[in-house]
Amino acid sequence: MPEITYLEGIRLGLQRLMRERPEVVLYGEDVGAFGGAFKVTLGLQEEFGKDRVFDTPISESAILGSAVGMATQGLRPVVELQFVDFGMTAVHHLLNNAATTHYRTGIPVPMTVRAPCGGGFGGGPFHSEELESLFCLMPGLKVVYPAFPSDARGLIYSSVMDPNPVVFLENKYLYRHVKEIVPQSFEPVPLGAARVCRAGRDAVVLTYGAMVHEALRAAEQLASDGGYEVMVVDLRTLKPYDADTVLTAVAATNRVLIAHEGWRTNGFGAELSALVADRAFHLLDAPVRRVAAPDVPVPFAPELENAYRPNADKIATALLELMEY
Amino acid sequence: MSKKAAKAEVGAVGKAAWLAIMRSMMLARLAEERLVRLYHQGKIFGGVYTGIGQEAIGAATTAACGEHDLFTPCIRNMTVHLGRGECVLNVFRQYLGRATGPTRGRDGNVHYGNMKNGVYAMISHLGAMLPVLVGGVMARRRRGMDTVGIAYIGDGATSTGDFHEAVNFAAVNDVPVIFLIENNKYAYSTPNSDQFRCKRLADRAAGYGIEGVCADGNDAVGLHLLTRELVAGLRAKPRAMLMECDTLRMRGHGEHDDASYVPRELVEEYAKRDPIRAAWERLMKEGVVPREALDQLERACREEVDRAYHQALNEPPPDPATLLDGVYADA
Ligand SMILES: Cc1ncc(C[n+]2csc(CCOP(=O)(O)OP(=O)(O)O)c2C)c(N)n1
Repeated sequence: MPEITYLEGIRLGLQRLMRERPEVVLYGEDVGAFGGAFKVTLGLQEEFGKDRVFDTPISESAILGSAVGMATQGLRPVVELQFVDFGMTAVHHLLNNAATTHYRTGIPVPMTVRAPCGGGFGGGPFHSEELESLFCLMPGLKVVYPAFPSDARGLIYSSVMDPNPVVFLENKYLYRHVKEIVPQSFEPVPLGAARVCRAGRDAVVLTYGAMVHEALRAAEQLASDGGYEVMVVDLRTLKPYDADTVLTAVAATNRVLIAHEGWRTNGFGAELSALVADRAFHLLDAPVRRVAAPDVPVPFAPELENAYRPNADKIATALLELMEY
Repeated sequence: MSKKAAKAEVGAVGKAAWLAIMRSMMLARLAEERLVRLYHQGKIFGGVYTGIGQEAIGAATTAACGEHDLFTPCIRNMTVHLGRGECVLNVFRQYLGRATGPTRGRDGNVHYGNMKNGVYAMISHLGAMLPVLVGGVMARRRRGMDTVGIAYIGDGATSTGDFHEAVNFAAVNDVPVIFLIENNKYAYSTPNSDQFRCKRLADRAAGYGIEGVCADGNDAVGLHLLTRELVAGLRAKPRAMLMECDTLRMRGHGEHDDASYVPRELVEEYAKRDPIRAAWERLMKEGVVPREALDQLERACREEVDRAYHQALNEPPPDPATLLDGVYADA
């Protein structure tokens, strides 16, 4: 069985889709022969030709808008934003065009927007943003955020095959940092299904993206230091999210920590926290805790970014406080 | 073109095609005049935005296109919808927010389309439909259709970033789209002089490395002949182009607006060049369509508008229980 990175997982999913589905086309800035800023699409133009994998001008509005046009005429466009940060110059196409079309007109819009997110590598304020809660606000969009290579592969497949516009968030830190040994062939991973990636009975960390790995490390630490068994739930899809798995996890542990890399105020953790308060208040032994980024632009200097970005230590500290409540 | 050659060309298009163009224009005018009255009587929920005075553009250009072509109409383009085969009944259903309408009460007034006719439903955001059309045409052509697109846009919307991105994107990819600018001289209250510095918007084509043409937007006959030629040219050699049509918005931006900022002389000048009357007179003069046929057409349009309004009025509004339906398409 091959060992693949997160980035290769996405590429393998795309490659299979393009082999199986002639209606899949892929475009964006520098995604052709160059393979994209992160090389996710490397080799795809060579295999599938310039007709199906092509470069565009630096025109996020034209990229997202044309994808809506293509998706409504029988294609399944997959477009890459070079960084999610730059998608903000064209976000009206997602909110107002892509996301409203089916509700207003009954025409499905099967398009996928791949968007590299997140920091941890000195990207500074404009190459590190985590904007999932912005997309999650938009009725009609689906929002997917894998944390593992196998999920990246199986979720990109399901995202592209979904009849709705999907924002597929990719964590840049994970691109080359996580590896997994996987079978050559794979089943698509369904959208809307969370996964318990570590069992536990003392507390649960609800998380996604890069923080899944930080939470797993924190859980290890608590197990060896304090003998606590901490469950970790990877949400995988943020909209629509898997409330059942979340509530089952809360019932099994009675203590809840939410961890995400992006900003705290109105972050996705606020939604999860509200869900737990609303539906599982009676199950809680302690107030819901959140570990999230403070409400400041993503800073550049390593000292500042380390202070800014949630990590295993911060999650472990919060977990201990939660256990001692 | 000599007068004689032009006359021969008008004759060659044939009576049926000219009557179809006249029908789109008359139906739109009558339907919009009805909507205006309903608005002022307080019988319309929301706003009314008409294309009165600009009917020639949508009618003449859609009639020059084929079955597989694609269109993104804007605010002033009821004749694009009607020219592509939409029925007036759907127009009234849309304005009255009926469950039976094209958007089933989920959207209002000009925000409707019909993909059977190759017509996208616009969103409000000016310029935002342009890249959508470019993508749509690219997709249809990939699937083997000989599609050409026309994107209708106002003079004001040419100042958006989407306009630039879409025109350049189409130019770079040789996508056969006519970006048709209806220069009605005002964007809401803002005149051309506060909107752009170039002499003619069609001049911008040079900056994109594409062709730009100017036309009289109130001359349905000339516009139709020109568009036939342009569309044939784009099919033969796919490429993007700009087309600027001179016209004037004859009412306010919407019916809430008295347009007192438009000089009276300008309105009077364009009133003399009413597109429906101009086409009517020319077609009679050239002997292509007899007066009786036009009279008869007008009567039929009046009846159709009347019937459509009353039928839509009697149809059901959407059921609030359906509020959450259709946010997502089912897999
Ligand atoms: C992006 C955006 N900004 C502002 C508006 C509000 N708005 C609606 S129509 C309009 C004027 C449009 O002028 P123009 O493009 O010339 O078209 P016309 O109304 O003259 O047909 C404005 C400002 C909008 N719909 N979209």
